[in-house]
Amino acid sequence: MVDKSQQWKAWIYLAPAIVLMLVFTVWPIFNTIMMAFKEGYNPMYELNPEFDGWTFGLQNFIDLFAHASAFTNALVNTLLLCVLTVPISTMLALLIAVALHSIKPLQKLLQTIFFLPYVTNSIAIGMVFSVMFNIVGDVGSPDANYGVINQIFGTMINWMNLGSTKVANYAVMVIYIVWNALPFKILVLLGGLQGVNKQYYDAAKVDGTSKTRVFWRITVPLVSPMIVYVLITGFIGGFKEYSSIVGIFGEDMGATGQQAHENMNTMVGVIYDALPSGQYGKASAAALVLFVIILIVTLINLKISKKSTHY
Amino acid sequence: MKKVFAVILMVVMLVSALSVIAACDLGNDELTVYFYHTMGQNLQAVLDKHIAEFNKIYPDIEIVHSQEGGYPDVRDKVSQELMVGEGPQMAYCYPDHVALYNIGRQVVDLYDYMNSTEVIPAGSEFGNETEIKVGLTAEEEANFIDGYLAEGTQFVNTDEMLTLPFSKSTEVLYYNETFFTKNNLKVPTHWWCGESCPAGCDTSMEYVCAKIKEIDPKAKPLGYDSEANWFITMCEQLGTDYTSIVPKTSPLDPSKVTYYTFYNDKNVDFLERLNSWYQKGWVTTQTLYGSYTSGLFTTIDASKEKSYMSIGSSAGATHQRPAEVGGKYPFNVGIATIPQADQNNRKVISQGPSVCMLNTGSETKLMATWLFIKYLTTSVEFQTEFSMASGYMPVLENVADEELAKTNKAVAKYVDFIKNADGGDNIAALSAKVAIEQADAYYTSPAFVGSSTARDEMDILLAKVLGMKGEDIRAQIDSALKTALQTCESTNKTPQPNA
Amino acid sequence: MEEKKIDQQVAPQVVEDIDSTIALGTTSLVDKTMDESAVMSERKIEKVKQRQRVAKIVGKIGVYVFLIAMALIVLFPFYWMIISSLKTKDEYYLTQPTFWPTQGLDFANYAQAFKVGNLGVTFANTVYVGIVSTALSLVITVLSAFALARLEFKGKNLLFAGMLATMMIPGELFTITNYKTVVDLGWTNTFTVLIVPFLVSVFYIYLLRQNFMQIPDELYYAAKVDGTSDLKYLWKVMIPIAMPSLISITILKMMGAWNSYVWPRLVASDDVHALITYKLRTTQWDTDPMYVDYPVQMAAVTLVSIPLFMVFIFLRKYIMKGVARSGIKG
Repeated sequence: MVDKSQQWKAWIYLAPAIVLMLVFTVWPIFNTIMMAFKEGYNPMYELNPEFDGWTFGLQNFIDLFAHASAFTNALVNTLLLCVLTVPISTMLALLIAVALHSIKPLQKLLQTIFFLPYVTNSIAIGMVFSVMFNIVGDVGSPDANYGVINQIFGTMINWMNLGSTKVANYAVMVIYIVWNALPFKILVLLGGLQGVNKQYYDAAKVDGTSKTRVFWRITVPLVSPMIVYVLITGFIGGFKEYSSIVGIFGEDMGATGQQAHENMNTMVGVIYDALPSGQYGKASAAALVLFVIILIVTLINLKISKKSTHY
Repeated sequence: MKKVFAVILMVVMLVSALSVIAACDLGNDELTVYFYHTMGQNLQAVLDKHIAEFNKIYPDIEIVHSQEGGYPDVRDKVSQELMVGEGPQMAYCYPDHVALYNIGRQVVDLYDYMNSTEVIPAGSEFGNETEIKVGLTAEEEANFIDGYLAEGTQFVNTDEMLTLPFSKSTEVLYYNETFFTKNNLKVPTHWWCGESCPAGCDTSMEYVCAKIKEIDPKAKPLGYDSEANWFITMCEQLGTDYTSIVPKTSPLDPSKVTYYTFYNDKNVDFLERLNSWYQKGWVTTQTLYGSYTSGLFTTIDASKEKSYMSIGSSAGATHQRPAEVGGKYPFNVGIATIPQADQNNRKVISQGPSVCMLNTGSETKLMATWLFIKYLTTSVEFQTEFSMASGYMPVLENVADEELAKTNKAVAKYVDFIKNADGGDNIAALSAKVAIEQADAYYTSPAFVGSSTARDEMDILLAKVLGMKGEDIRAQIDSALKTALQTCESTNKTPQPNA
Repeated sequence: MEEKKIDQQVAPQVVEDIDSTIALGTTSLVDKTMDESAVMSERKIEKVKQRQRVAKIVGKIGVYVFLIAMALIVLFPFYWMIISSLKTKDEYYLTQPTFWPTQGLDFANYAQAFKVGNLGVTFANTVYVGIVSTALSLVITVLSAFALARLEFKGKNLLFAGMLATMMIPGELFTITNYKTVVDLGWTNTFTVLIVPFLVSVFYIYLLRQNFMQIPDELYYAAKVDGTSDLKYLWKVMIPIAMPSLISITILKMMGAWNSYVWPRLVASDDVHALITYKLRTTQWDTDPMYVDYPVQMAAVTLVSIPLFMVFIFLRKYIMKGVARSGIKG
């Protein structure tokens, strides 16, 4: 059924997008690859009259992994945060969406509230979360102010101050990232639920299927495209995690006293850190590594989702 | 709905097409100087006033200035603009920013102008009516506070003068004067007893901290806001190595050279000492405390932990003053020079913005820029007024000169400002006064690409070291210093000879 | 009976009532019970029914408790933002943060925020950039999504896969190259530079393509037989169906204009073209670099957020519908 005229028509429709992408996406990607292989590339040097050209090679990549320091640490952090936050936020979002879908009174109000974080400013939110976990005063001393969270639970956990454990740091990050990720996921999943044809449920009713069964056998499969969608975007977003860390830990990217090889920095954070001093070669190499990882994870995701998506 | 949508779409496309057409390049006026800074509104008002004064001398030079956020924002913007061949002619700067710009040799050597014998004739393109000497006179140059001026020459691989001081601050010791008087405590002048402070003396920080702890066991006697400043200042005072202006052999790999020299035994020594202070509950810092230590210093709630000394920026004096209760300050704040290791080698940090000139225009444009830089940095009128508005210090020696005050209104005003200094309403004047008195003690660290990495690392390291517990503190400190060095070196590669 | 109990325990409370439609499922459970124990006396059945009702009510309460607890967690930061904007600077810097302004409400923060931030102009700029870029972006997105969803052409899959792949590159790295490009084009300090580089979003094309894919092919071929042109078909059939998605995209795009920071700062930082988040982040709210006047900053954030909240609340229905439609269509 391929219509010949569709060939050129398609390209005409796509022309604006393709032209803009060539200039503002493809060219930068190409340029990034070039920069990654120029050893020690820093555009500032090119302004120097005594500058005598770049050597091509793998040095930028070697530098990234050379010392078991910032980048390797960031790689581990990013992967862990992704693996922890994406399933948790998806599950929680699904629960909230299903719950929202099941009620009548207050539904609209609650929906609106759940979507509000969509339109907020990260400065405010990051600062608030940080304040909630931060201990002011001597850690361990009963006189210190342990923050709202500890107050509510009657604990004295050191979440993010000097001497805090990596586990506690991760807990804070997971809570914040999940909080941040919820609105979008609820939005998508609730939309999916509302689009489910009621006939399926009517059929279930006739069969006398239990509600749990209905959930796993009907609801989940029917919104599976939405679940796959939020999972994929969640993972891609997760690998680009950065501002949430800044929001919680500030520019140091870690708890007090954590050095670069042990802090909470992420891969994008490492890229950003290299930019102010013009280390574009290194930043590009890091970005390429990040790209390859995201590509692999997405391919795996697509493969699995093809098998498990209902239709 | 659809029709409305279509109409909106048409309008919008038309408007955006127009905006594309309107995107014309305004072009760089030969006599327009662009200046990036971080000034807030009321400082910009001071600047604008003095630009008007400047324009009375040079009516044809136009100054366009813009606030670009904080210091890192200025750095990022300038460096990115330079990389694509743009950029302002003049910018607020910290030494490591200038080191970055200068990788590409984009910073103008100010000696070329300072030492110039050129004379701009009356009626030049700048619109000046009288003859103007380009260079600085001997008096003008000598009038800069030496420690501030030296910052411009602290750059590795060059003998040039890359910056001029714009407005400065330093660290001072704030102490609870009321508490000190009541308990007969002396203001500490030394960190610990040594050659110039005999054993058992009552003017060492160690002595005072121990005493305060006896009086108020709950207290954290001293709060030090900036960890990095503490580390670097200790190095300067004790004469130990931090960073070097000439490359040294790297302790990690003898075949390589490095500018980072902070990994050494002497630094382990004093860090071990500071660790014991923290473990005794004598000190805290901003990150360890979890908030500005001024909060600990100014609290008047007797049931809470508090501090009686606070070392922080001289520009933040008003934050070291307790809130008024019933129209009165609950205690009086005293300000002094920070403790020293050796009174014959006094060292206090010099911080705050300098200005640099960037090679982004024609000779005429750069000359106009120089005239403006010269005007701002050598004018007592601007320096004093800006200082009083910002809390920063003037960079000139004669601003508090009583002789000059008789003939110069601006100086007279400043002298008056300093004279009224007290630990209450005029606390800003008091910190300025102390800062002026220690003018001979300012130091700056060598600047190179990556010098700020060392600073950042020391910030984290000191907090970590203070919190260390257990058997072998020395080994732990040693290992932390080594890691910091590894991070510095892997983050910023020092150019190797023959490479 | 046993099996049912387990079901109820295992199933999260919220699952109890998936939908008002499935709520009918409760009845079916009862029916089943009756089948299994036909010998049960009337009283026993009454009891079971009652228990079911109680379970249902408890379930409902559980659902509400869960939702309201989550809602409070979500709302807390907003509360914090607003009370912070009303605190005096001294109170804001108290060592122990207060949860309600104790030193009186300082509404002057708002006046100062508006004045210092020059919010009137930046607000207008942001709306302008938002509207223009949204409109242009919609046209490009609709055309591309149509081609990718409906038309058959050589290299389609390759092109689409390539476009999707670009989504995975960290955008930070585009910045410096794009910056050089727009400087070479002479676009700095114009509205163009804030609009054009971001007109194409693979994400939106993907979203809309999925939407269009839901529309059965038969409709298209029927329209072809009737002699309807592609554009007319797009306009008459596909756009109305995808309208909620388009509105969602509009809102996302507007919010993009609202939140963009890195790029505006770099390419259009003069007062005439400044956008809102850039202004929020870079305005020096106070003279003192050490102690930022956060209450004024928070007041500015609040001022800036209010219009966005309004738009959002007003258009909530469309967003919901939009995403719903991109789901399954029977």
